[in-house]
Amino acid sequence: MKPNLFLTLSLFFLLTESILAQGGADDFMRSTGKIYSVVAVVLILFLVIVVFLFRLDSKINKLEKQIHNE
Amino acid sequence: MKNWYKYLSVLLMIYVIIAGFLIPLKPGIQSFSPSKITIDPDKSSYLKIKTYNTHFQDAQQNKVWLKLPNDQLLRDEKVTILSQNELEVSFYIPSTLPDFNPQQDALTLIVENEIDGYTFYPDAVRVNDVSGLMTNRNEYHDISKINQVESFKFPYRHILHETIRNTFFHVAIWFAMFILLIYSCYHSLVYLRSKSLVSDKKSASATTVALVFGIAGILTGSMWAKYTWGTFWTTDIKLNMSATAMLVYCAYWFLRASVSDIDTRARLSAVYNLFSFVTLMILVMVIPRFTDSLHPGNGGNPALGGEDLDNTLRAVFYPAIIGYTLIGFWISNIYFRYLTLKEKVELI
Repeated sequence: MKPNLFLTLSLFFLLTESILAQGGADDFMRSTGKIYSVVAVVLILFLVIVVFLFRLDSKINKLEKQIHNE
Repeated sequence: MKNWYKYLSVLLMIYVIIAGFLIPLKPGIQSFSPSKITIDPDKSSYLKIKTYNTHFQDAQQNKVWLKLPNDQLLRDEKVTILSQNELEVSFYIPSTLPDFNPQQDALTLIVENEIDGYTFYPDAVRVNDVSGLMTNRNEYHDISKINQVESFKFPYRHILHETIRNTFFHVAIWFAMFILLIYSCYHSLVYLRSKSLVSDKKSASATTVALVFGIAGILTGSMWAKYTWGTFWTTDIKLNMSATAMLVYCAYWFLRASVSDIDTRARLSAVYNLFSFVTLMILVMVIPRFTDSLHPGNGGNPALGGEDLDNTLRAVFYPAIIGYTLIGFWISNIYFRYLTLKEKVELI
Protein backbone atom coordinates (compact mmCIF):
# COMPACT_ATOMS: atom_id res chain seq x y z
CA MET A 1 0.00 0.00 0.00
CA LYS A 2 1.26 3.46 -0.88
CA PRO A 3 1.38 5.74 2.14
CA ASN A 4 -0.57 8.89 1.48
CA LEU A 5 1.21 12.04 2.62
CA PHE A 6 -1.98 14.04 2.93
CA LEU A 7 -3.75 11.36 5.00
CA THR A 8 -0.75 10.74 7.29
CA LEU A 9 -0.25 14.41 8.05
CA SER A 10 -3.91 15.32 8.51
CA LEU A 11 -4.15 12.48 11.02
CA PHE A 12 -1.04 13.81 12.76
CA PHE A 13 -2.33 17.38 12.89
CA LEU A 14 -5.74 16.20 14.13
CA LEU A 15 -4.06 14.14 16.85
CA THR A 16 -1.93 17.00 18.14
CA GLU A 17 -4.81 19.43 17.95
CA SER A 18 -7.60 17.36 19.50
CA ILE A 19 -5.92 15.00 21.95
CA LEU A 20 -2.69 16.64 23.03
CA ALA A 21 -3.53 20.33 22.84
CA GLN A 22 -6.70 20.49 24.87
CA GLY A 23 -7.34 23.44 27.10
CA GLY A 24 -5.56 26.72 27.48
CA ALA A 25 -2.00 27.66 28.26
CA ASP A 26 -1.10 24.60 30.34
CA ASP A 27 -1.84 21.76 27.92
CA PHE A 28 0.63 19.04 27.02
CA MET A 29 1.96 20.69 23.84
CA ARG A 30 2.68 23.93 25.69
CA SER A 31 4.20 22.35 28.81
CA THR A 32 7.92 22.65 29.62
CA GLY A 33 8.44 25.72 27.48
CA LYS A 34 6.56 24.28 24.44
CA ILE A 35 9.26 21.63 23.89
CA TYR A 36 6.70 19.12 22.56
CA SER A 37 5.88 21.38 19.63
CA VAL A 38 9.55 21.06 18.66
CA VAL A 39 9.15 17.26 18.89
CA ALA A 40 6.07 17.56 16.64
CA VAL A 41 8.07 19.59 14.10
CA VAL A 42 10.84 16.96 14.02
CA LEU A 43 8.24 14.20 13.60
CA ILE A 44 6.58 16.01 10.68
CA LEU A 45 9.95 16.45 8.98
CA PHE A 46 10.70 12.75 9.48
CA LEU A 47 7.24 11.67 8.26
CA VAL A 48 7.42 13.77 5.07
CA ILE A 49 10.82 12.35 4.12
CA VAL A 50 9.81 8.77 5.02
CA VAL A 51 6.55 8.97 3.03
CA PHE A 52 8.54 10.24 0.04
CA LEU A 53 11.02 7.36 0.39
CA PHE A 54 8.18 4.80 0.62
CA ARG A 55 6.65 6.11 -2.58
CA LEU A 56 10.01 6.07 -4.36
CA ASP A 57 10.49 2.51 -3.13
CA SER A 58 7.16 1.37 -4.56
CA LYS A 59 7.94 3.08 -7.89
CA ILE A 60 11.24 1.17 -8.11
CA ASN A 61 9.39 -2.07 -7.24
CA LYS A 62 7.06 -1.50 -10.18
CA LEU A 63 10.02 -0.96 -12.51
CA GLU A 64 11.68 -4.15 -11.27
CA LYS A 65 8.52 -6.15 -11.98
CA GLN A 66 8.37 -4.64 -15.48
CA ILE A 67 12.00 -5.62 -16.14
CA HIS A 68 11.45 -9.17 -14.84
CA ASN A 69 8.43 -9.66 -17.06
CA GLU A 70 10.26 -8.67 -20.23
CA MET B 1 35.81 6.99 -0.20
CA LYS B 2 32.89 7.26 -2.56
CA ASN B 3 30.08 7.56 -0.02
CA TRP B 4 31.73 10.08 2.29
CA TYR B 5 28.91 12.59 2.06
CA LYS B 6 26.34 10.01 3.18
CA TYR B 7 28.30 9.23 6.34
CA LEU B 8 28.90 12.92 6.91
CA SER B 9 25.18 13.72 6.57
CA VAL B 10 24.27 11.04 9.12
CA LEU B 11 26.93 12.28 11.55
CA LEU B 12 25.77 15.88 11.16
CA MET B 13 22.13 14.95 11.72
CA ILE B 14 23.01 12.99 14.86
CA TYR B 15 24.94 16.03 16.09
CA VAL B 16 22.07 18.39 15.23
CA ILE B 17 19.45 16.29 17.05
CA ILE B 18 21.60 15.73 20.14
CA ALA B 19 22.96 19.27 20.44
CA GLY B 20 19.70 20.83 19.29
CA PHE B 21 17.73 19.14 22.01
CA LEU B 22 20.22 18.92 24.88
CA ILE B 23 21.83 22.38 25.02
CA PRO B 24 19.71 24.19 27.60
CA LEU B 25 18.01 27.53 27.22
CA LYS B 26 19.29 30.65 28.99
CA PRO B 27 17.16 31.75 31.94
CA GLY B 28 14.39 34.22 31.21
CA ILE B 29 11.59 36.15 32.89
CA GLN B 30 8.25 34.61 31.95
CA SER B 31 5.85 36.92 33.75
CA PHE B 32 5.55 39.33 36.64
CA SER B 33 2.73 41.01 38.51
CA PRO B 34 1.57 43.68 38.97
CA SER B 35 2.65 45.32 35.72
CA LYS B 36 2.30 48.80 37.21
CA ILE B 37 3.77 49.73 40.56
CA THR B 38 1.98 52.28 42.65
CA ILE B 39 4.53 54.27 44.55
CA ASP B 40 3.76 54.99 48.14
CA PRO B 41 6.45 57.15 49.76
CA ASP B 42 6.07 55.36 53.06
CA LYS B 43 5.83 51.76 51.91
CA SER B 44 7.75 49.34 49.73
CA SER B 45 6.35 48.09 46.43
CA TYR B 46 6.04 44.36 45.80
CA LEU B 47 6.56 42.37 42.61
CA LYS B 48 6.03 38.65 42.03
CA ILE B 49 8.25 37.27 39.27
CA LYS B 50 8.01 33.97 37.42
CA THR B 51 11.07 32.87 35.49
CA TYR B 52 12.23 29.99 33.32
CA ASN B 53 15.35 27.84 33.78
CA THR B 54 16.64 29.71 36.85
CA HIS B 55 18.08 28.26 40.06
CA PHE B 56 16.98 30.64 42.81
CA GLN B 57 17.11 28.05 45.59
CA ASP B 58 20.62 26.87 44.67
CA ALA B 59 22.02 30.37 44.28
CA GLN B 60 23.29 32.37 47.22
CA GLN B 61 22.99 35.91 45.93
CA ASN B 62 19.71 36.51 44.16
CA LYS B 63 19.38 40.16 43.21
CA VAL B 64 16.65 42.03 41.38
CA TRP B 65 17.26 45.39 39.76
CA LEU B 66 15.15 48.02 38.08
CA LYS B 67 17.01 49.81 35.30
CA LEU B 68 16.26 53.45 34.52
CA PRO B 69 16.48 54.79 30.96
CA ASN B 70 19.78 56.49 31.89
CA ASP B 71 21.32 53.07 32.75
CA GLN B 72 21.29 53.62 36.50
CA LEU B 73 20.02 50.79 38.66
CA LEU B 74 17.70 50.57 41.63
CA ARG B 75 18.36 47.60 43.86
CA ASP B 76 15.75 45.43 45.57
CA GLU B 77 15.02 45.83 49.24
CA LYS B 78 14.27 42.20 49.99
CA VAL B 79 14.06 39.06 47.86
CA THR B 80 11.88 36.15 49.00
CA ILE B 81 12.51 32.89 47.16
CA LEU B 82 9.32 30.88 46.56
CA SER B 83 10.76 28.16 44.30
CA GLN B 84 13.55 27.65 41.77
CA ASN B 85 11.60 29.73 39.27
CA GLU B 86 9.53 32.03 41.45
CA LEU B 87 10.40 34.89 43.73
CA GLU B 88 8.82 37.83 45.40
CA VAL B 89 10.69 41.10 45.64
CA SER B 90 10.13 44.42 47.32
CA PHE B 91 11.43 47.74 46.06
CA TYR B 92 11.71 51.11 47.56
CA ILE B 93 11.17 53.44 44.63
CA PRO B 94 11.93 57.13 45.10
CA SER B 95 9.17 59.43 43.89
CA THR B 96 11.41 61.47 41.63
CA LEU B 97 13.47 59.32 39.29
CA PRO B 98 16.20 61.08 37.28
CA ASP B 99 15.51 61.53 33.53
CA PHE B 100 12.30 59.58 33.88
CA ASN B 101 8.89 60.48 32.48
CA PRO B 102 6.19 58.26 34.08
CA GLN B 103 3.87 58.85 31.13
CA GLN B 104 6.30 57.45 28.55
CA ASP B 105 9.07 55.50 30.20
CA ALA B 106 9.09 52.14 31.91
CA LEU B 107 11.69 50.44 34.05
CA THR B 108 13.56 47.38 32.81
CA LEU B 109 13.41 44.44 35.19
CA ILE B 110 16.69 42.55 35.74
CA VAL B 111 17.04 39.35 37.75
CA GLU B 112 20.51 38.00 38.48
CA ASN B 113 22.39 35.49 40.57
CA GLU B 114 25.82 33.89 40.48
CA ILE B 115 24.64 30.63 38.84
CA ASP B 116 22.40 31.83 36.02
CA GLY B 117 23.93 35.23 35.35
CA TYR B 118 21.46 37.96 34.52
CA THR B 119 18.25 38.03 32.55
CA PHE B 120 16.04 41.01 31.80
CA TYR B 121 12.57 42.03 30.66
CA PRO B 122 12.79 45.34 28.78
CA ASP B 123 10.39 48.18 29.64
CA ALA B 124 8.54 46.00 32.11
CA VAL B 125 7.46 48.04 35.08
CA ARG B 126 5.51 51.28 34.92
CA VAL B 127 5.13 53.58 37.89
CA ASN B 128 2.46 56.13 38.70
CA ASP B 129 3.18 59.83 38.57
CA VAL B 130 3.89 61.08 42.08
CA SER B 131 6.15 64.02 41.38
CA GLY B 132 5.84 66.46 44.20
CA LEU B 133 6.14 63.91 46.98
CA MET B 134 9.60 64.07 48.46
CA THR B 135 11.58 61.07 49.55
CA ASN B 136 15.13 61.07 50.77
CA ARG B 137 16.41 57.53 50.09
CA ASN B 138 17.84 57.83 46.59
CA GLU B 139 20.49 55.22 46.10
CA TYR B 140 21.50 54.30 42.57
CA HIS B 141 23.95 51.74 41.30
CA ASP B 142 26.00 51.58 38.15
CA ILE B 143 25.07 49.07 35.45
CA SER B 144 28.54 47.50 35.67
CA LYS B 145 27.53 45.93 39.00
CA ILE B 146 25.55 43.25 37.20
CA ASN B 147 26.98 39.77 37.35
CA GLN B 148 27.77 38.16 33.99
CA VAL B 149 28.04 34.40 33.72
CA GLU B 150 29.43 32.96 30.49
CA SER B 151 27.65 29.82 29.36
CA PHE B 152 26.93 27.98 26.13
CA LYS B 153 23.15 28.17 26.05
CA PHE B 154 20.50 29.06 23.51
CA PRO B 155 18.90 32.49 23.95
CA TYR B 156 15.57 32.80 25.73
CA ARG B 157 12.92 34.66 23.74
CA HIS B 158 9.43 35.63 24.79
CA ILE B 159 6.65 33.51 23.25
CA LEU B 160 9.24 31.30 21.52
CA HIS B 161 10.69 29.64 24.64
CA GLU B 162 11.98 26.16 23.68
CA THR B 163 10.61 26.42 20.15
CA ILE B 164 13.70 28.47 19.23
CA ARG B 165 15.14 24.99 18.57
CA ASN B 166 12.88 24.78 15.50
CA THR B 167 15.50 26.98 13.81
CA PHE B 168 17.49 23.78 13.23
CA PHE B 169 14.55 21.94 11.71
CA HIS B 170 12.23 24.43 10.04
CA VAL B 171 14.64 27.17 8.92
CA ALA B 172 17.48 24.80 8.00
CA ILE B 173 15.23 22.69 5.74
CA TRP B 174 14.36 25.82 3.72
CA PHE B 175 18.05 26.67 3.33
CA ALA B 176 18.75 23.11 2.18
CA MET B 177 15.90 23.46 -0.33
CA PHE B 178 17.48 26.60 -1.77
CA ILE B 179 20.87 24.91 -2.15
CA LEU B 180 19.27 21.93 -3.93
CA LEU B 181 17.37 24.27 -6.25
CA ILE B 182 20.54 26.18 -7.15
CA TYR B 183 22.17 22.83 -7.99
CA SER B 184 19.12 21.93 -10.08
CA CYS B 185 19.26 25.24 -11.95
CA TYR B 186 22.93 24.67 -12.70
CA HIS B 187 22.08 21.33 -14.32
CA SER B 188 19.19 22.89 -16.26
CA LEU B 189 21.67 25.37 -17.73
CA VAL B 190 24.09 22.55 -18.52
CA TYR B 191 21.28 20.68 -20.27
CA LEU B 192 20.34 23.71 -22.37
CA ARG B 193 23.96 24.09 -23.51
CA SER B 194 24.94 20.44 -24.01
CA LYS B 195 21.58 18.65 -24.51
CA SER B 196 22.83 15.87 -22.25
CA LEU B 197 19.93 13.89 -20.78
CA VAL B 198 22.01 13.04 -17.70
CA SER B 199 21.91 16.71 -16.68
CA ASP B 200 18.16 16.79 -17.26
CA LYS B 201 17.66 13.86 -14.91
CA LYS B 202 19.99 15.35 -12.29
CA SER B 203 18.10 18.60 -12.42
CA ALA B 204 14.71 16.87 -12.21
CA SER B 205 15.70 14.71 -9.24
CA ALA B 206 17.17 17.67 -7.30
CA THR B 207 14.02 19.72 -7.91
CA THR B 208 11.81 16.85 -6.78
CA VAL B 209 13.69 16.43 -3.49
CA ALA B 210 13.78 20.21 -3.01
CA LEU B 211 10.01 20.35 -3.41
CA VAL B 212 9.60 17.60 -0.80
CA PHE B 213 11.79 19.70 1.52
CA GLY B 214 9.66 22.73 0.72
CA ILE B 215 6.46 20.86 1.63
CA ALA B 216 8.14 19.77 4.87
CA GLY B 217 9.14 23.40 5.45
CA ILE B 218 5.57 24.64 5.07
CA LEU B 219 4.13 21.90 7.31
CA THR B 220 6.73 22.32 10.06
CA GLY B 221 6.26 26.08 9.87
CA SER B 222 2.53 25.58 10.28
CA MET B 223 3.11 23.49 13.41
CA TRP B 224 5.51 26.09 14.81
CA ALA B 225 3.05 28.89 14.07
CA LYS B 226 0.31 27.09 16.01
CA TYR B 227 2.29 27.30 19.25
CA THR B 228 3.78 30.76 18.81
CA TRP B 229 1.42 32.84 16.67
CA GLY B 230 -1.74 30.94 17.68
CA THR B 231 -3.01 29.40 14.44
CA PHE B 232 -1.81 26.88 11.89
CA TRP B 233 -2.02 29.43 9.10
CA THR B 234 -1.85 33.21 9.32
CA THR B 235 -2.11 35.81 6.58
CA ASP B 236 1.60 36.49 6.99
CA ILE B 237 3.12 37.50 3.65
CA LYS B 238 5.94 34.98 3.75
CA LEU B 239 3.57 32.06 4.36
CA ASN B 240 1.34 32.87 1.43
CA MET B 241 4.22 33.70 -0.90
CA SER B 242 6.08 30.48 -0.14
CA ALA B 243 2.87 28.48 -0.63
CA THR B 244 2.47 30.20 -4.03
CA ALA B 245 6.07 29.35 -4.89
CA MET B 246 5.41 25.71 -3.99
CA LEU B 247 2.42 25.71 -6.38
CA VAL B 248 4.65 27.10 -9.14
CA TYR B 249 7.03 24.21 -8.52
CA CYS B 250 4.14 21.70 -8.42
CA ALA B 251 3.41 22.75 -12.00
CA TYR B 252 6.95 21.54 -12.82
CA TRP B 253 5.97 18.02 -11.75
CA PHE B 254 2.81 18.14 -13.87
CA LEU B 255 4.76 19.51 -16.84
CA ARG B 256 7.20 16.61 -16.69
CA ALA B 257 4.39 14.09 -16.32
CA SER B 258 2.38 15.46 -19.22
CA VAL B 259 5.03 15.49 -21.99
CA SER B 260 5.91 12.03 -23.31
CA ASP B 261 8.68 12.89 -25.78
CA ILE B 262 11.98 12.73 -23.88
CA ASP B 263 13.79 15.62 -25.60
CA THR B 264 10.81 17.99 -25.56
CA ARG B 265 10.21 17.17 -21.90
CA ALA B 266 13.84 17.86 -21.01
CA ARG B 267 13.93 21.16 -22.89
CA LEU B 268 10.60 22.45 -21.55
CA SER B 269 11.33 21.44 -17.97
CA ALA B 270 14.81 23.01 -18.02
CA VAL B 271 13.36 26.34 -19.12
CA TYR B 272 10.45 26.10 -16.71
CA ASN B 273 12.82 25.17 -13.87
CA LEU B 274 14.86 28.34 -14.43
CA PHE B 275 11.68 30.39 -14.63
CA SER B 276 10.26 28.99 -11.39
CA PHE B 277 13.53 29.53 -9.54
CA VAL B 278 13.42 33.22 -10.44
CA THR B 279 9.76 33.32 -9.36
CA LEU B 280 10.64 31.66 -6.07
CA MET B 281 13.37 34.22 -5.40
CA ILE B 282 10.98 37.09 -6.05
CA LEU B 283 8.13 35.60 -4.03
CA VAL B 284 10.09 34.46 -0.99
CA MET B 285 13.15 36.69 -0.85
CA VAL B 286 11.99 40.01 -2.31
CA ILE B 287 8.27 40.64 -1.73
CA PRO B 288 8.23 39.85 2.05
CA ARG B 289 10.84 42.58 2.58
CA PHE B 290 8.50 45.29 1.35
CA THR B 291 5.83 44.65 3.96
CA ASP B 292 5.68 43.65 7.57
CA SER B 293 6.00 40.00 8.38
CA LEU B 294 5.90 37.90 11.51
CA HIS B 295 9.05 36.18 10.32
CA PRO B 296 12.21 37.70 11.76
CA GLY B 297 14.38 39.59 9.30
CA ASN B 298 11.58 40.75 7.02
CA GLY B 299 10.10 44.15 6.39
CA GLY B 300 13.57 45.60 6.21
CA ASN B 301 16.91 44.77 4.75
CA PRO B 302 18.45 42.16 6.98
CA ALA B 303 21.51 40.06 6.53
CA LEU B 304 21.73 36.62 8.03
CA GLY B 305 21.94 37.29 11.71
CA GLY B 306 21.30 40.16 14.02
CA GLU B 307 19.86 39.47 17.40
CA ASP B 308 17.77 36.47 16.46
CA LEU B 309 20.61 34.18 15.47
CA ASP B 310 23.43 34.26 18.00
CA ASN B 311 26.62 32.21 17.96
CA THR B 312 25.23 29.36 20.04
CA LEU B 313 22.40 28.88 17.56
CA ARG B 314 24.83 29.13 14.63
CA ALA B 315 26.92 26.28 16.06
CA VAL B 316 23.97 23.96 15.42
CA PHE B 317 22.19 25.84 12.62
CA TYR B 318 25.00 25.73 10.03
CA PRO B 319 25.74 22.00 10.53
CA ALA B 320 21.99 21.40 10.21
CA ILE B 321 21.90 23.16 6.81
CA ILE B 322 24.87 21.10 5.57
CA GLY B 323 23.33 17.90 6.97
CA TYR B 324 19.96 18.40 5.27
CA THR B 325 21.64 19.42 2.02
CA LEU B 326 23.76 16.26 1.96
CA ILE B 327 20.73 14.09 2.78
CA GLY B 328 18.93 15.91 -0.03
CA PHE B 329 21.75 15.09 -2.46
CA TRP B 330 21.67 11.49 -1.26
CA ILE B 331 17.93 11.11 -1.89
CA SER B 332 18.17 12.96 -5.20
CA ASN B 333 20.93 10.55 -6.21
CA ILE B 334 18.57 7.62 -5.55
CA TYR B 335 15.85 9.42 -7.50
CA PHE B 336 18.32 10.03 -10.35
CA ARG B 337 19.08 6.30 -10.53
CA TYR B 338 15.34 5.58 -10.58
CA LEU B 339 14.87 8.01 -13.49
CA THR B 340 17.77 6.42 -15.38
CA LEU B 341 16.26 2.98 -14.95
CA LYS B 342 12.84 4.22 -16.00
CA GLU B 343 14.26 5.76 -19.17
CA LYS B 344 15.91 2.47 -20.09
CA VAL B 345 12.63 0.59 -19.58
CA GLU B 346 10.76 3.14 -21.69
CA LEU B 347 13.27 2.87 -24.53
CA ILE B 348 13.01 -0.93 -24.74
